[in-house]
Amino acid sequence: MKSKKRRRRARQDRLVLQLLIIVAVVLVVFEGRLVLTMTQHRSIMNDPEAVATSGNADPSDENTEKSDRADNISSDMGTPAGESALAGLPADIGSSNSTSGTSASSAVSTVANPDSPAIVHQTDPPVDDSYFSDAVFIGDSRMEGFRNASGITQGRFFTSVGMSLASMTSGEVIQTADGNITVAAALSGGSYNKIYIMLGTNDLGEYDWDAFREGFISVTQRFKEIQPDAIIYICSVIYVEESKVTTGDYINNANVDKINAILLDICEEQGYYYLDLNEFLSNGYGSLIEGATSDGVHIYPEYCEQMLDYLKSHYVTASDAEEEPETETETETETEAAAENS
Amino acid sequence: MKRVRRFAAVLCTACMALALTACGGKEKEVTVDTAALASDLLETVTSDTLTETASDMLPSIYFFEEDTIEAGTAYASSGTTACEIAVVQSKDADNTASVEKLFQTRVDNQSDLYASYNEGEVARLDTAIIKSAGAYTVLCVCDDVDKANDILEEYGF
Repeated sequence: MKSKKRRRRARQDRLVLQLLIIVAVVLVVFEGRLVLTMTQHRSIMNDPEAVATSGNADPSDENTEKSDRADNISSDMGTPAGESALAGLPADIGSSNSTSGTSASSAVSTVANPDSPAIVHQTDPPVDDSYFSDAVFIGDSRMEGFRNASGITQGRFFTSVGMSLASMTSGEVIQTADGNITVAAALSGGSYNKIYIMLGTNDLGEYDWDAFREGFISVTQRFKEIQPDAIIYICSVIYVEESKVTTGDYINNANVDKINAILLDICEEQGYYYLDLNEFLSNGYGSLIEGATSDGVHIYPEYCEQMLDYLKSHYVTASDAEEEPETETETETETEAAAENS
Repeated sequence: MKRVRRFAAVLCTACMALALTACGGKEKEVTVDTAALASDLLETVTSDTLTETASDMLPSIYFFEEDTIEAGTAYASSGTTACEIAVVQSKDADNTASVEKLFQTRVDNQSDLYASYNEGEVARLDTAIIKSAGAYTVLCVCDDVDKANDILEEYGF
């Protein structure tokens, strides 16, 4: 009888031991992975060179080749390439409801030149929707999503799914009651004091960046001719969540950084205003906040609402617009004049 | 006998008049809560999460004459798919034909644009539902067309 009891107790002890071992293994596997990820990340962030050269989370050969080609074309863009979201870390790292001028949450700067005079910083107090009553929003499906989901109540939207520089320049892509027309034709149909442009996501595979730059300047100058009194705001291309993108390897954050550097440069040169949307949409490591989209590109409504708040608190006043941001040409002339005087 | 014939003639005339009135009553007596119908139709969209679009934006999306519309509710995509739902109440039931035409133009325009962007969405747009009942018109681009038609039937469409 006693030996039976002893055997049963021994069996129970073995069972408990086995369970403990399983729990320990599970803990080691999951927590170990988390600790490893955090350690790796910390070492990357402590090594600026590694940050600057880190590419995409999943750099396929083709992708790397494309990035190299892009690097050759545009070597002066110092913004680090994107790093994909980190497994195990909270999804809201770097996300912040705050839309302050400098994002404390961004470990990696989201702009090539943070001191650029073209960047629009937070202005108090925030405006309300009436500020957009004389505004027109031009852009691709991401801008269309903003119209649909942000709750914005005023402003005209000339948007189109798949809008690229080429289609914005000459394609009949803007819907009307009588069919589709060109952006320029749509823009000619009214009078606007503010033009918001969000373009570039569908041009990320365009590696002739010089041609993109020239084309973008040309089309925005045309818009300025049509609406000479309008302030032109250029929205940054929003980061993507690379692991979810299925529409092509070229849609990656390294290319987003490159195209944004070009857009900022154009703003400085042409006297346009640059809205750094990644200031609040970055995960802090050069990628879109994890879980902000279903397809890696089009942000969920809550982020569209945050974008509206951002636009309401990042604007220029009429007097600011009169003193347009110093263009590069003006700066060069001033430097030359100063040199002559001395 | 004469009195019976006269009574029969009056009765026949009254019946014919009633019958004619019934035939002329082409408009169904339908009263719909646009928000409730749009919300119910949301169940037919499974591939995307649609969001309610501010009603102030509807005229610029669908190109209505603002003064012809009594109320409207629309749900749209944040850009992922071509799915959308719009339920509009015209001030006058005679206006529904023009709203249907605007919805059809919207679908055609969307098809043109999606053809070079995301061809899969064109097939979805081909099955778009555009229906009217009374003063109400519905546009529904969704995943489950049968279910959408069932819901619309329940609402009197």
